[in-house]
Parts: sequence; C-alpha cells; structure tokens
Amino acid sequence: MKRIKLLALISALILVMTACTTAGDGDETTTTAADGGGEDNGNGDTGGATLAEVESRGTLNCGVNDAVPGFGFRDPDGNFSGFDVDFCKALAVAVLGDAEAVNYVALNAQQRFTALQSGEVDVLIRNTTWTASRDGGEAATFATTTFYDGQGMMVRADSGFASIEDMADTTVCSLTGTTTEQNVTDRFGSIPFELLTFDDNEVLQESFVAGQCDGWTSDKSQLAGVRTNFPDSEGGPDALTVLDETFSKEPLGPVTRDGDTQWSQIVDWVVIALIQAEEFGIESGNVDSFDSSEDVNIRRLLGLEIEDDDGNTVVFDPGIGIDPGWPSAMITAVGNYGEIYERNVGPATPLGLERGPNSLWTDGGLLYAPPYR
Amino acid sequence: MSDREVIEREADPVAVGRPVHIRLGARAWAKKNLFSTWYDALLTLTLGSLFVAFGWTLIRFLFTSDFAILRVNLALLMVGGFPRDQLWRPVVALILVSILLGLMAGIGSASARDTAEQTGLPYQRSSPMAVLKRFWPVLAFVVVVLMLTETLTPWLVAGAALVAGVGSFPLGRGLPAGVRRFGLVILTIIIAAVYLVLVSGGVGWDGWGGLHLNLFLTVAGLLLAFPLGLLLALGRRSTLPALRAMSVTYIEFIRGVPLITLLLMGIFVIGFFLPTGFRPGNVTRVLIAITLFESAYIAEVVRGGLQSVPGGQVEAAQALGLAPWKTMRRIVLPQALRNTIPAMVGQFISLFKDTTLVVIVGMIDILGASQSANAQGAFLAQGLHRVTLPFVALAFWVGSYVMSREARRLEHKLGVGVR
Amino acid sequence: MSTAITKKVERPPFWRDLRVLRVLIQVLSLAVIGAILYVLWFNLTTNMRAIGIRADFDFLTQPVGVSVTGSDIGAGSAVWRALLVGVQNTFALVVVGIPLLTIIGVLVGVARLSSNWLVSKAATIYVETLRNIPPLLIILFAFFVGVLPLPDILEPARILDLAIITNRFIAVTGFSAAEGFEIFGWIMLVALVAAIFVWRWRTRVFVQTGEPHHRVLWSTGLLLSVAVIAYLALQGPFELSKPVLAGRALSGGFSGLGGYFAMLVALVLYTASHVAEIVRGSILAVPRGQSEAANALALSGFQRLRYVVLPQSLRIAIPPTINQYLNFVKNTSLGIAVGYAEVTLIAFQAIGNGRPAPQMILLLMGAYLVFSLTISAVVNVLNRRLQLVGRT
Repeated sequence: MKRIKLLALISALILVMTACTTAGDGDETTTTAADGGGEDNGNGDTGGATLAEVESRGTLNCGVNDAVPGFGFRDPDGNFSGFDVDFCKALAVAVLGDAEAVNYVALNAQQRFTALQSGEVDVLIRNTTWTASRDGGEAATFATTTFYDGQGMMVRADSGFASIEDMADTTVCSLTGTTTEQNVTDRFGSIPFELLTFDDNEVLQESFVAGQCDGWTSDKSQLAGVRTNFPDSEGGPDALTVLDETFSKEPLGPVTRDGDTQWSQIVDWVVIALIQAEEFGIESGNVDSFDSSEDVNIRRLLGLEIEDDDGNTVVFDPGIGIDPGWPSAMITAVGNYGEIYERNVGPATPLGLERGPNSLWTDGGLLYAPPYR
Repeated sequence: MSDREVIEREADPVAVGRPVHIRLGARAWAKKNLFSTWYDALLTLTLGSLFVAFGWTLIRFLFTSDFAILRVNLALLMVGGFPRDQLWRPVVALILVSILLGLMAGIGSASARDTAEQTGLPYQRSSPMAVLKRFWPVLAFVVVVLMLTETLTPWLVAGAALVAGVGSFPLGRGLPAGVRRFGLVILTIIIAAVYLVLVSGGVGWDGWGGLHLNLFLTVAGLLLAFPLGLLLALGRRSTLPALRAMSVTYIEFIRGVPLITLLLMGIFVIGFFLPTGFRPGNVTRVLIAITLFESAYIAEVVRGGLQSVPGGQVEAAQALGLAPWKTMRRIVLPQALRNTIPAMVGQFISLFKDTTLVVIVGMIDILGASQSANAQGAFLAQGLHRVTLPFVALAFWVGSYVMSREARRLEHKLGVGVR
Repeated sequence: MSTAITKKVERPPFWRDLRVLRVLIQVLSLAVIGAILYVLWFNLTTNMRAIGIRADFDFLTQPVGVSVTGSDIGAGSAVWRALLVGVQNTFALVVVGIPLLTIIGVLVGVARLSSNWLVSKAATIYVETLRNIPPLLIILFAFFVGVLPLPDILEPARILDLAIITNRFIAVTGFSAAEGFEIFGWIMLVALVAAIFVWRWRTRVFVQTGEPHHRVLWSTGLLLSVAVIAYLALQGPFELSKPVLAGRALSGGFSGLGGYFAMLVALVLYTASHVAEIVRGSILAVPRGQSEAANALALSGFQRLRYVVLPQSLRIAIPPTINQYLNFVKNTSLGIAVGYAEVTLIAFQAIGNGRPAPQMILLLMGAYLVFSLTISAVVNVLNRRLQLVGRT
C-alpha cells in the first residue's frame, strides 16, 4: 500500500513537472494555438494577435514547399531557397528586421490549410491558388498575388503532341484532390482520355518518366521546375515540352488566416512595396542613393524624412503596425520584385520563365501596386 | 569416402533405450534433406537455381548501386526536418534510451537472479555471445547506417550510446532490491526526460520527421491508447448492458475500418469537433487518430488477457470477501496484464509498421523522406527507389523482427498459454 | 383464526444496494458519454456552419467534376457513381486476392514444415522477410520495380496474339457477351444450384451406403454438360475477345491497370506470409499423436496432411485467418499511393475538390465496415460448422 502511494506521488510529481515545463514553453504548438488563435474561425477578429506573437517569438513560421525548384526547394543541407522563400524572408525583415529569422515549415498540398488554421504557420507562401472556395471554406485570406500562373500540360518532346486535341486516348497524370484534376477534365471535354492521379509528386514523377502517362498537368511554374531538373540520362530538359496552351488561371500568392486583418494587411503591403520598389527603380544595391530623392512618393516608401512647408520633418507611417522604414530594410535585404523574380525563376535561371503577366502594369503586365500613402 | 553414417552410441547399458544420436556426413545429409524423392530433387533444383539467381542479383545490387542518395540524405531519413543545430537533442535522447534499456535489462536480470535464489530453480546468465545472437539485426542496421555517414560524429554517438547502455547494465543489476521495485518509476522518469530533452528547445512534435517520427508515433500512440483500451476492455466484459453495448460498438467499428480513413478524419475533420479556436497541429491530429485506432486493438488484447485468468481466481477472491473492484485491481489485472505482454509487443510491431501510412497524409516520416530524397535534382528519375526503399524496409524489418523474436521469448518465459 | 406472518425483507440503504447501483452506473455513464457526444456534435455543426460546409448528403448527386481512370466516369457523372466505381475496384482486388492469398498462404505454411531443407528455408525466408515489412513499402516496391519497368504502350510486349503487357495495363484474352448471354447466365446459375444439390445427394448416398461418392465428378460433370448444351443451344452466347491495341486505345479482352497488379501482387504476398504463419502454427497445434498414428497406418506424407492433419488444423486456423482477410480488405485502401482508383482514392479526390469531408469520410468508413462485416459473417458460418461440439 505504502509503495503504491509512493509510486503515485512520484508519478504525479513527474507529470506536474512535465506539464509545467511544456506549458511554459511558448513555442509548443498546442499552447500557441490556444493563446494565439483566439476565435479564428472567421467570425471573431483577433486583430494584432499574430503580429504580437511573431514579434515576441522572434521568428516567423512560414509554410513553404520543399520540392518545387525555383519556388520552394530544400537542398540536402536543409537550406531553403526559391521565389516564395524570398517573400518569407522579406516579411521577416519587415516585421523582425532579420531575413534569417524564419522557420520554414515544409507542407504538402493536403496539410497546408490545416497547418495555417491551427497556427502551426503564421503565413502560407506555397504556390497556393486564390479561389472563392478557399476564401470561403478554408478560413483563409489571400494577399496580393505574387505570381500569375496558369495550368499547363507537359509532354515528351518526341511524342509529337502540339495541343490537347492531339492527345486523344492518352493517359494524363496529376495530383489527387487538387484543382488541376477538375481543370484538365473540363478542358478535355469530350476528347477521351485517362486521368491517373497520385497523392505524391514523387510517385507521379516516376510514373511519368517510366512512360505510364503521356502528359503531366500542373501549374506551368511547377512544370518548368521539373523540366529543369530532368536528368540527362533521360534526355535532359530538351526531352520535355510544355504545351503553349494555358487552361486555367492560377493566381498564386501568400495566404493568412481569416480574422487577423492587421497581419493580413502587413503581408499585403510587403508584397505591394516590393512591386512598387521595382516601379520606382529601387534595387537592393541602390537604396541609399535615393536618400536625396525629390520624389515624395519614394521618400514615403523608404521612410525618409519629408519636409513640409513649415520646415517640419515627418516620416510617413501608414499605421499598419510596424516601424516605418521597413521597406528600405526589406529591399536592401532581398531586392525588389524584379530582382526576386530574376534570381529565382527568371530567364537567366534554369527555369527560364519570361515575365509575361508578371511584369509591371507599365510594361503591359498585371502587377499594379496601390499607392503607398 | 562414400556415404557413411556415423552412429555414436555410448557404451553404457543405461543408454540402451535412450534416443540414438545420428550424425550424418554431408552427402548423407543432402540425400536425406534435399534429394529424398524425385519430386524432392526437382524442387531442390528449381528452388536452388532461384536462390542462386536471387543471391547474384543481391550481390550485384550491393556492389554496383550508387548509395549517394542515402549518404547525402541520411539526416533527413533519420530525423526529417529537425533543425540541424539542435541535433544534439536526439543524440542525448538516444543515449538516455540506451541507458534506460541497459538499466531495465540489469533490473530484470537481478530480479531473475533473486527469484532463482528464492525458489531454488536453476539460473543462467545469458552470455554476451547469446545477447549478440539475439540482437544481431539491430547491430547490423547500426553498422549499415554508420557506413553511410560522412562524418565522424555518428561513430562517436554510436560508441557513446553503446557504452552508456552496456555500462548501465551492471548499474541496474547492482541496485538494491528496494530501489529495483520502482522500476516503473525509473522508466517514467527517463521517458519524461527524453521527451523534455527533445521539446525544450522549442521544436514541438509538429516539427519532427524521419525515423524519429515513426518511433515517436508508435511509443506515444501506444502509451496514450493504453488507458482507453483498458477501459474499453473492462467495459466490454462488464455485465452492465449499456457499458457493454457502447464498448462493443466502438471496438467493432474501429476494427472494421482502415487506419487511413481515421488519419483522413484526423487531418480533415478533427478540427471541426474541437471548440472554436482550438486547432491542433498535424502531428497532434495524427496522434489522436492513431490513439483512437490503437485503443480498440489494445482493448481486444487486454480482453484476451482478462479471459486467460482462470475463473477460480475470481471465485477464490469472492470467497475471501474481496469487493469486485478490489479483486479486479489486486487479483485479476496484475495476472491479466502480465499475460498480455507478448500480444502487446505484437501490437507495438503492427503499429510501428502502420506509422508509414502518415506519408499518405503528407508527413515526412522515413518513407516520406525517401520520397523527398528521390525528388531532389541530383537523384530525380534515376530509379533510385531501388536503393531507398530497401533501406527503409531494412529499418522496419530490423525493428519488427527483433521485437517479434523477443515477444516469442517472453511468451515462452512467462509460460503464457501453458497450464 | 389464522395468524399471518409477515416477514420484513431487509434491504440495504440505496447507496449500497447493488441493484440500484447497477442502474445508477449505467445511467451515469450514458449521461457522460451522451454529454461528450453532444458537445462534439455541437462543435461539428457550429464549425461547419461557420465555414459554410453543408451537413447533408446532397453532394452525392452533384457532378463529380473529374474523370476516373479505367471507367467511364466523366466530369458530369454524379459523385455517388464515382464512389460506386471505387467500391467496384476495391471489390475486384478483394475477390481475386482472397482466394489467391489463401492458396499461397497454405502452400507456404506447409512448405515451412517440409522435410526438404531448401524448401523450408526458402519458405522461412519469405515469411520472415515479408511479415516484418510495412505493406505500403511492398506496394511501392512492386509498383516501382515491378510495374513501371514494363514496356511502354507504344512498344508493348505481346504474348502471341493473346495478351498485351504494358506498364499501363495488362490485357488478356477474354470473352465478350453476345446475344443470349443473359439467358446463359441464368441457366448456369440454376445449374450451379443443381450441382450443389447433387453434391449433397452424393454425400448422403456415401454416408448411408458407403459407396464412393465421386461427388466432384458428378457436380462438375453436371455443370460442364449443361454449359456445353446451353452454349450450343444458344448458338454462342459469348465469343472470344482478343485485346486489340490501336495506338493508345485498348479494346476487347480483359484488362487490369498497372496499379491493380501492383496492389494485388504486393498485398497477396504480404497477407499470405501472415497466413502461412497461422497455418504453420495450426498444424503444429494438432496433437503429435495424430501424425504418429497416421505414420503407423503407413499413410504417405501427403495423405497424412490431407486426411489427418489439415482438417483438424483448419478449426484452429480459421479465426486468425478471418482477421487476415479483414486486414487484406483494409490494406486495399493503400491504393491511393499508386494511383489505383479504389474507394479511398475517390473519396480523397472528392474531398480535395470541395465535397464536405465529414460526410465523405463517414461514407468511406461505412463502405469498409460493410466489406468487413460481410467477410466476417461468411467465414464465421464456416467456422461455426467446424467447431467442436461438446465440452470445450
């Protein structure tokens, strides 16, 4: 009897110690969700909770891809790089002042929204298409589109297919449970074809390489990445062609949780500032040269002092919650939109994607930054 | 020398009537075991050639394959995305686990020795050679992993773990009997310590991956499922119809459904069941699904154990005037749970194998890591699944094989099922 | 004068009265569980309403929007049709897999006890290797190493004219229904029932008179003769159909997708290794005296197995084997990993394309429960007939 009592006492002590230690550890996901989440099912607005939490934590939890070259890719040493990854860095500089203060969380297509909803990540920058059902059904808020993509079809260069109409009776591979399945079924319409779906990109790749499918359909940016990495033993990138046709609109951008307007706006304006910087010609190397600029708009963007008629100097602060001057730190650290694009997916990179719709509105593209004032 | 049977018989009158030891020469043995009849010979020849072909493919595979994919991605396979600067945590956890195993083995050995002294039964210490024979797959796997590493640190870690484990064996053996009785408490303390070491740096469960994640899901799943399973088993055997009906419904429902549906439920639906604002991370959801799943199977195992306790025990307890709850706690459960240990180990093995399913819901366990590795630019589309899948299979095979052999040994030692 | 003796029944106070306690505990536990379930249900409906997901089953009649491999489900077909195709695909695996794995399992289990050293070692290696590896790994291995390396569709491997082997499908010669096939089907069904009656009649004759029953010959003879007569009478209700490949389009014959064969081979080999262990254990559990008596009667090894050991071991082997059958059915859900369109993949696809997850998963679980309960019921009938009657 005494022994059991002693056992119970010690066990209880241990449990209490464990609970105290883990409860005190603010980075545990469950406690994060409990105090950071608040009512985040779309009805309540926690207003500012995410920003405060990120600042107190000191790192930004960014949900990314880890296997899409050019957008979100993890090399064997564990370092992340890519277009989306650079936006994570930009956000980290804007909010925390340090581009390396990011904790990258690799997510796949099925778990990305649950990770966002649960608070496991603060922002999801992972090739996610903005659709109405995701706005409504996934408790997600989409920020300004960073990449205007479309769905395409990749085939072997020697197959002779030039358009979808050539592809009757072929087998096409795609990922299970994504919008690509619906889009490709709609596009084929009455043309007979077989749709083979896998839940894993790697198995899909093996199947495509082995010839089990004649075509691989996905976002054109992802197809470009795969094409880049196609091994020379199979013919290298020239063995594959991406058909010209684009059969859906895929606006990709960062995603935040519903219910935290301040945080969503911060993410929005980070993207907008980068686009605006390219419009003004501000690059990572020449930020300082704009110190003496006469253009009031540039001075506002970079958080430089503006003299009004009375001789008072004031620094423009739009009131989104972070210190003004964040754009200049951000641009210095990661460059403007154009630099990010060129570095990761531009024509000079293995992916070789032309700007196309991802150019500034002044160049005929879709990037139009609302004024920072 | 043609076939000759060498018959040894002791020139002892008492030996007449004892079984005759026949030792066959090589040719005689082959004739008896391989070529005794014409169809036997045919079978031997076909199987033999298959064996040779298989062995040749295996040798060719081992010597010509490029293991670079495993070498480069070893950390990914073992611990997934664990922050590389915090890798000392799994290392410390590994050493603590070896200490735990050594201590437990020592305590077990000391208890066996004491029991032998008290009851007068013969007692043999297993020689190191025998232990090696029992656990050679684990050592082989460790050697394979070490041969794939590129730095010296893993060798040091393995050495440290080995020394810690072997060193704590005499420590456990030397503990006084009074302390040894708290073996369970020591187990709890060390497991809590392991957990604390792993999470105190801010890397919660949700950041774990690789083989580490598989092991964690197995251990945590079983630990969490055990109380629920026990309750369900007791409920199923209860005479109260309401309790019985609820337990049976739950158990039969869960046992009829594949684990993958529960994992899907965990990922997509559990969030809906929880109060608004409380949304757990992915590993937590998977853990909840696994707990619910395992509890039904553990309930069946415990029920088998409860049924194995002779009815006479309960009757004797009643004759002594013990209340029903007291009989359960002091008489039935201790015997029942002891009898379930081999089946529990079987459940552990089966859960360990089932944890690979989390790759389908997108987690990077060791199988997911091998898929990721195959998608990396340097290794894409070279059919390197032929290399990574056998490695992953080896990891699971080693764990399952060793544990199932230990379970059978335990069963034999405990005399389960033997009246 | 009569004296009435009243006896007062002593009842313990209600808080110690067992009868009261029994009812009280049940009511309490029902209340607690009921409360928990109510809270869960409330949360579920509130959350679903907040996000805008409907809590009914209307989605089943909506168009599914995606096409499903190997079937004629197109974008316009209803969701329930797609699910039905999924169930059919699972069924195709189960109905071919379970007999195969039983045969292989029994063979390997017996082989493990063979007196031929090589045979028993080979069986042991097979069982001990496959039993301890997760089935998902075996499926992936079968897919990557077995199916994908098969020839491409533009250069298929052909076996004479009768079979086509590619990595997308394997097609063999089959038969296609022509006029009169339905009638033929009904006739064969009646013949099957008649054959069962003939079987039982011959067994009864054997039991009563001791004449050799030849029941196999009688029943199959009946079936074959009816088949031939019906075929001739109906002037060929079915004809041989060879698979024909025109570019990428296949017509004719019986075909199975690559994923199907990967799943079939992997799961049959995996489950058979478990069944082999069960069979071995059950054979070893038959008392040694039985084998010794059989040897004393000069029965050959095969006869000993067939007439003495196996029938007795069946009794012991059946309950664990039912478990393995159920595991096989549950493991078919892994088809999602290799793109085989069984019911779990269809459900997963539907959830990804906006169908409500709770209802979908409920339907999915229901489908598996139906499979499990059916198989348990069928095999339990056999089990009950084999039970020893009398003292246990």
